[in-house]
Amino acid sequence: MSLTTDSPVRILAVARRHLIVIKRVPFRLFDILLWPIVDVVLYGSIGAFVTEQSRAAGRSSATYMLSGIMLFHFLYQTQVANSTAFLEETWSRNLLNVVTTPVTEWEYAAGMAITGLLKVVLGIGMVAIAGLLLFSFNLFHLGLALIPIAASLMIMGWAMSLFVIGLVLRFGQAAEAWTWGILFLVMPLSGVFYPTSALPGALRPVAKALPTTYAFAAARRILDGGATPWSDIGLALAGGVVSVGLGIWFLGRMLATFRRRGFVTRFS
Amino acid sequence: MTTVLSARDLVKDFDGIRAVDGVSLELAAGDRVALLGPNGAGKTTTLLMLLGAIDPDAGTIDLVGRRLPRYRSQAMADVGFVAGYLPLPQHLRVVEALEYFAGLYGMRRPRPAIGEALERFRISDLADRRCERLSSGQRTLVGICKAVLARPRLVVLDEPTASLDPDVAHRAREGLRALSVDEGTALLVTSHHMLEVERLCERVAFMSAGRIVAEGSPTDVAAQFDQADLEGVFLELAGTNRIDPEHPRFDPAEQT
Repeated sequence: MSLTTDSPVRILAVARRHLIVIKRVPFRLFDILLWPIVDVVLYGSIGAFVTEQSRAAGRSSATYMLSGIMLFHFLYQTQVANSTAFLEETWSRNLLNVVTTPVTEWEYAAGMAITGLLKVVLGIGMVAIAGLLLFSFNLFHLGLALIPIAASLMIMGWAMSLFVIGLVLRFGQAAEAWTWGILFLVMPLSGVFYPTSALPGALRPVAKALPTTYAFAAARRILDGGATPWSDIGLALAGGVVSVGLGIWFLGRMLATFRRRGFVTRFS
Repeated sequence: MTTVLSARDLVKDFDGIRAVDGVSLELAAGDRVALLGPNGAGKTTTLLMLLGAIDPDAGTIDLVGRRLPRYRSQAMADVGFVAGYLPLPQHLRVVEALEYFAGLYGMRRPRPAIGEALERFRISDLADRRCERLSSGQRTLVGICKAVLARPRLVVLDEPTASLDPDVAHRAREGLRALSVDEGTALLVTSHHMLEVERLCERVAFMSAGRIVAEGSPTDVAAQFDQADLEGVFLELAGTNRIDPEHPRFDPAEQT
């Protein structure tokens, strides 16, 4: 994973290439600009309805729903942005052109991360504005804790994209569905909208093993007026870092298989 | 002459089937060599191993003095690759696509080199066209520009003129020959156009059933097989390369 003096040029070339695609293909902006608003409207409305039905409980379901979906978008946008940047090369059947240049896997990944970060900023901006305008909900009510909570979710999104890219390298384009599918696996298990105690008993140990669970739990605790649960935030961050390590290891293994078994020809 | 490619005893099996069986190949600066053979002979697998895209099961590859796979990135800085069957990145204009690849080669100010390459192959008028709107022939010429952009010491061309009209193929061939003669760039070409190979390359290596079965100048190789030209050698080898059910051949390019 060595960097050279040419690495910044290569990394920026990858980032620029993907930014041009975003500019040229408006449909690619749906993930960033349209679906976040749809999500805020959907989950915010469900939350508002449930809150109205159960005012006696003294707790706002709308707050849980809105904070949940907004924070979920840190995970969603990072994972989808990174995975689709790689998939862009497979959709263009351009992978062989890329792997026969000096760019290393890690330089390419860094270039994708730059584009991904920009998409996250745009996507989160959209959900924050929609939440504020449509439901008067301000995500910044989480205070400074928002920074590490968001960072832990972005780190997890990054880790998940490494797994998805590894799967596509190993199993071909049939594995593309995991780009979106993996998120809808993690969403219910992480307790994005509810405490994981609401999950069936058999699934709770799985929820406990996911770093994302601790990020969403920490956000709910703060919104309920409790003290900032730094231990939960620490677990979310540490779990995210471990997951990235596992993702790098997994992607490295899949790349080795990809090269050993000649899978590059699947994409050309 | 400086050696730019030295491959020794390459072996590659896929699912227990031998695709490449002990191939060795040497290219010096300025060499123009064709790797020929019928479908399934192992050419594409060999090329992809030489480019570091597939790891060999056995054998060694030194590309511009650097051992693969460990020094793949450093080696590929001096190697260009183009395949006639490969598209270019969608949604990018030609000049943007070439800037992208120049960036992957670490080129900091690529515009003059891009202009020069487009001019060399007489396609400057395509600079602002979107890649997905190019004809297959235009795409191939842009692909060749991409391959020569970073002034590589070796250019690998897989079926470069398969989709080109004779006049455009001639233009591509002359551009490549000039590159080789003027700058000492070595060319390694695969093609099914035997006449084109005779015009461009001074040495050919014929593959059959995963092995190199003949190597030398086009006339020497034709003489070895008692044929008038390379077309005759190709037909001879294609005829003897029938699939043996007990020892089937395998080419990953045909798997997809």
